[in-house]
Amino acid sequence: MPFNFTTIPPLSLYIHIPWCVRKCPYCDFNSHAVRGEIPEQEYVSALVADLEQDLPLVWGRTVESVFIGGGTPSLCSPDAIERLLGDIRARLPLRPAAEITLEANPGTVDRERFAGFRKAGVNRLSLGIQSFDPILLERIGRIHDGQQAHAAIDAARSAGFDNLNLDLMFGLPGQTREQALADLGTAAGQEPAHISWYELTIEPNTWFYRHPPQRPDDEQLWEMQQQGNELLHAAGYRRYEVSAWARPGRQCRHNRNYWEFGDYLGIGAGAHGKLTDAVAQSITRRSKIRHPQRYLEQVRDGQRLANTATLSSEDAVLEFAMNALRRDDGFTVTAFSTATGLPWSTIEPAVTAAIETGLLVIDDSRIHTTPRGQRYLDELLQAWVPESVDNARTG
Amino acid sequence: MASQGSRASMAPARNLVMTDRQHVRNFSIIAHIDHGKSTLADRFIQICGGLSEREMEDQVLDSMDLERERGITIKAQSVSLNYRARNGETYELNLIDTPGHVDFSYEVSRSLAACEGALLVVDAAQGVEAQSVANCYTAIDQGLEVVPVLNKIDLPAAEPERVIQEIESIIGIEADDAVRVSAKTGEGVVDLLESLIEKIPPPGGDDEAPLRALIVDSWFDNYVGVISLVRIVEGKLCRREKISVMSTGRTFQVEKLGVFTPKPKDRDYLQAGDTGFVIAGIKDIEGAPVGDTLTHAGHPAKESLPGFMTVQPRVFAGLFPVNSDDYENLREALQKLRLNDAALHYEPETSQALGFGFRCGFLGMLHMEIVQERLEREYDLDLITTAPTVIYEVQTTSGELLQIDNPASLPPANRIEEVREPVIEANILVPQDYLGAVIGLCVEKRGIQKNMQYLGTQVSLTYELPMSEIVLDFFDRLKSVSRGYASFDYHFVRFQPAPLVKLDILINGERVDALSVIVHRDAVQSRGRALAIKMKELIPRQMYEVAIQAAIGSQIIARTTVKAMRKNVTAKCYGGDITRKRKLLEKQKAGKKRMKQFGKVEIPQSAFLAVLRVDNH
Repeated sequence: MPFNFTTIPPLSLYIHIPWCVRKCPYCDFNSHAVRGEIPEQEYVSALVADLEQDLPLVWGRTVESVFIGGGTPSLCSPDAIERLLGDIRARLPLRPAAEITLEANPGTVDRERFAGFRKAGVNRLSLGIQSFDPILLERIGRIHDGQQAHAAIDAARSAGFDNLNLDLMFGLPGQTREQALADLGTAAGQEPAHISWYELTIEPNTWFYRHPPQRPDDEQLWEMQQQGNELLHAAGYRRYEVSAWARPGRQCRHNRNYWEFGDYLGIGAGAHGKLTDAVAQSITRRSKIRHPQRYLEQVRDGQRLANTATLSSEDAVLEFAMNALRRDDGFTVTAFSTATGLPWSTIEPAVTAAIETGLLVIDDSRIHTTPRGQRYLDELLQAWVPESVDNARTG
Repeated sequence: MASQGSRASMAPARNLVMTDRQHVRNFSIIAHIDHGKSTLADRFIQICGGLSEREMEDQVLDSMDLERERGITIKAQSVSLNYRARNGETYELNLIDTPGHVDFSYEVSRSLAACEGALLVVDAAQGVEAQSVANCYTAIDQGLEVVPVLNKIDLPAAEPERVIQEIESIIGIEADDAVRVSAKTGEGVVDLLESLIEKIPPPGGDDEAPLRALIVDSWFDNYVGVISLVRIVEGKLCRREKISVMSTGRTFQVEKLGVFTPKPKDRDYLQAGDTGFVIAGIKDIEGAPVGDTLTHAGHPAKESLPGFMTVQPRVFAGLFPVNSDDYENLREALQKLRLNDAALHYEPETSQALGFGFRCGFLGMLHMEIVQERLEREYDLDLITTAPTVIYEVQTTSGELLQIDNPASLPPANRIEEVREPVIEANILVPQDYLGAVIGLCVEKRGIQKNMQYLGTQVSLTYELPMSEIVLDFFDRLKSVSRGYASFDYHFVRFQPAPLVKLDILINGERVDALSVIVHRDAVQSRGRALAIKMKELIPRQMYEVAIQAAIGSQIIARTTVKAMRKNVTAKCYGGDITRKRKLLEKQKAGKKRMKQFGKVEIPQSAFLAVLRVDNH
């Protein structure tokens, strides 16, 4: 099935900062424990060079949002961030009210630093709190404690950040339901604009994968989630994605773009991008070299790509569903065609089947998951996974 | 050498050393697994220069790499070697062997039919094993000269004197002058070749008589059609001659013939005493049935050769494609496998739970596993195999006699007059130390002792056992209770009435026919409970609760529940690393491919096979 794009999806920009003070045992992101100072000036130059090499792919397009993630971007000085954002603006049109998020860890910030980020143009801050419980924080290898978590929130506020996200996890090793709800209550009590509330997942290539911790069982996790949902709802938050909660009007635009199958450029070590090309009628995924040192060396020679892949229409339908069905309000027929350039018939049979089994529902022209579909989303997505993926053993 | 004069004029010029029949030896090797048959065969090939150093890889006979050489598949292994003996004469040694399936006695007897002698290779440390005894008797019955050989004499644990005693007392042949070799180091191997020439008689048979060639094995090759391994018993077969298959009268023209050295080597003719391959443009395996006789179309022999007993499958199981679209592919794959495996039987079967598939008959569990593996690997099929079962005889109240090869087709209890199960006689050889454990195992398996005899340090046990108790894991259990020292061999004796009932498994209230099993009444309660628990372990939690029940007729004897999983959703997913999340979904999908959808429930492949393994430990 050929693509037929008549318009191009919105574009956002992801910037990866690959260093942390220490690698957390659950983290499978491209992050590397830093020894001494991070080479921030050199890295910012590399990011800009990286962006310049990508520019021909996005000529004339406006960037809707910027997300500086990691790693621990707050390890960068406000000067470095200011220089980075300035250099980006000089090369790529940012929408005037573009959302610009920076991830910060409570253990690495102070009021002055936050103020500096704000001044540099960052208008949304995402704090990796994870928990307020010092014992649980230690168990998951975080470098901060509950006190510092509160201090970081205060610092962000007084630095002028009103658009604040708190990242929180549940299902931590040895965590009781009461502890999980207490953490959530504390977070909601701070009244941030946004709360990301995740279940701890053990990913391959992590310390926890090799040394599995004792986690709450399925029943306990389920109770935590049910009661946590009620708590957040009562506190005025609305869930709009599997793990994302926001006050009205405060959904994260950058992440929403992912979940709407929008386009994004990714710059920095290990950054991924996805771009639609209306001339070639194709969707391409590209990723950059993961290791920071190699990335720094190669970006100068224009050799920063690790992988490039062009999506088939089957790939596009699956990846659209993987993203769009994470949103509680799902998607429309038009949104599907716009984002994938494909006719409705490519997704329709599985949608109809899922409506019959009660996992999806059509509601006011939006196709979205039922509560049951939300619970069993990965089962539901199987409908779009191509059949022939495991023929590796045919030799 | 009466035929010498005429041979000279017939023989075309060729480079090969001419060998008259007096200089030919056809032989087989009888050995238990691990007793060193392959290594010994490799030594022979090496000494006789059948392969160059470069081609000589360890265990040539076991190597499948040879298969594609010159587009010919070597299935039944036959190797022609030229050996220059100490007396200065050169002998053609034909080693005829069927590796891989050595457990199948019918193949052994086929190879033996092409020989005048056999080497009985016994591990000098471990002693005689039951299977070798059975094969040795077959050889003696077929009039072969058996030459005992003690292998692995380099081992510190070797006890040649004791093992010689054993050979004499258990098998009953002279073993005083058994050749002592180490196939591993090569020690004594040349002495063995000399002894082979001395003791094994040359083939008889008259070149001038009308052609009679025994088809020892036939297999299908995609490039040339059917290849037959034949033993020329009488007469002479030349290239381009017209041959006739005696049972069918069909005629073919010989395109190619020759011998394996072990590489296939074309020749212009094969004569009485020779064993070699024949390619005659035969398109299907039925055109050259194993055990049949080839003769000249123009001047046929009067009588065909005795041939072989046809083999009956003993173990039956249903094979179903996981994906029902694969049904035709499965049928084609079975057809192709059957081309080279006459022992494989199959007929269409319909299961309510598994849809369309085939009920297949196998010689035993090993055979079943080989077939299953080949279907999955070579034909890329995802299969569900139901629990293997033996064949039962049912006398119905209306006087019918039914052969039941599928538990699902057992008639309801009120229509059954009597159920009879197959009983086998097992001959077990076990060192005294493990006698108690082995007897315990036989009793557990409902065995009845028929005989017990002390033979040196080993004990020979004869038991009658229900076949259903031994086909599945008896061999493994026997090995484990005797730490590998016990060995056994068995043959069918009769059908015998037994109190047998059908145990059903119900998933969410519905009987899963493919999970039914026929069980002895005394064991059915505990078996039902164990099965229900096992199913609970094997069926993964899914979106719905799964109720599992074990039942005899309408009576529920056990129940368990697999609770619904609470959720299955990836907690965190951003655009950046979507490829990794996607791999996760793909992995889940691959896992599901190996499960069978039953209503809303997904049942893993392992559940269908677990049925009969459940009460073992």
